Amino acid sequence: MAEAGKEPFQRTPDSSRLARMIRRLETQRIALEWAAAEISGLPGPVIELGLGKGRTYDHLRLLMPEREILVFDKLLHAPKDCIPPEADFFLGDFLETAGQARERIGEGAVLAHADIGSDDREKDARRVAAMAPVLDRLLRPGALVLSDREMHVARWQRVDVPNMPSNWVYYAWRVVGA
Amino acid sequence: MSTVSHRVFRRRHPDISRLDENILRMVGCRDCLNRAAELVRDVPGPVFELGLGNGRSYDHLRRLFPDREIYVFERKVAAHPDCVPEADRLFLGDIHETLPAAARRFPRQGALLHADVGGADPDVNDRLAALVARYVPELLRPEGIAVTSVACPELEPAERPDTVDPKSYFMYRPRRQVSDG
Repeated sequence: MAEAGKEPFQRTPDSSRLARMIRRLETQRIALEWAAAEISGLPGPVIELGLGKGRTYDHLRLLMPEREILVFDKLLHAPKDCIPPEADFFLGDFLETAGQARERIGEGAVLAHADIGSDDREKDARRVAAMAPVLDRLLRPGALVLSDREMHVARWQRVDVPNMPSNWVYYAWRVVGA
Repeated sequence: MSTVSHRVFRRRHPDISRLDENILRMVGCRDCLNRAAELVRDVPGPVFELGLGNGRSYDHLRRLFPDREIYVFERKVAAHPDCVPEADRLFLGDIHETLPAAARRFPRQGALLHADVGGADPDVNDRLAALVARYVPELLRPEGIAVTSVACPELEPAERPDTVDPKSYFMYRPRRQVSDG
């Protein structure tokens, strides 16, 4: 399988940064909409790891207006209308703020979306290896995890999201064990 | 409770998410630029890119126009390192000054102008649109095309691809609209 977001370099308009950004956002939208439907019968809040410009946070809250969405980021630079309520926003390093969110999350979150990739894949791999077990402790059995970077957790099982574009990779797992 | 009390700007599409809105805008940009590239295939002249940003549409333009000079207008370059134009293709500074300078250097010589300008504030957008509309006819050949992120009602609309959301991206000929009023 191709690495997420990594395509062979071609000097065609189809592989421009603009075209690739569109593929990334369209992939995210398909994945989020699938996940929201999949978990509709299950209780629990949603975790958004990485607020960024607030695009996917905004999409999640429109898809699931009744759910609590707990948002984690090192920085806050989203547009004003995509800033989460103060009580739902955890500013700082996720490895530290995850503990603060523990009691808010109760029996565990039902969906986590981790859009965390950068241009530095080695750094991403180290970061993701540290984050995945911490994130896992916040999830309930049956929860879904979506991410632009591959994570390895024993009780997560890879799931294929239907109708995903073939030219952009996004990862999905279901938490199977208790 | 939220303590945010800033002014929240009106969105072009209040009923869809920012993710949807971004996709509409970027698809509009990509598809208008692709169409414009076909339309100006036989029109000689340089390409003008107003607003480099992180360089996404500049990257698209240089792939669409590998043999043309692309001049970029930007206040302060902050693009991805592989999307920074050569210094002699850069009009650095406020477009209120660099647009007139470019129009003196390339009077009605350009084939395509792409203006991804403005942001959340509709008043700022209207002022920028008026500025762009004023200089498009001075910079482009009569057969040229302008692709813009803000509506420029002073210019004559060009037909956009069906995939372009009509409120998200715009395409014009370098002629001022004849007012019917």
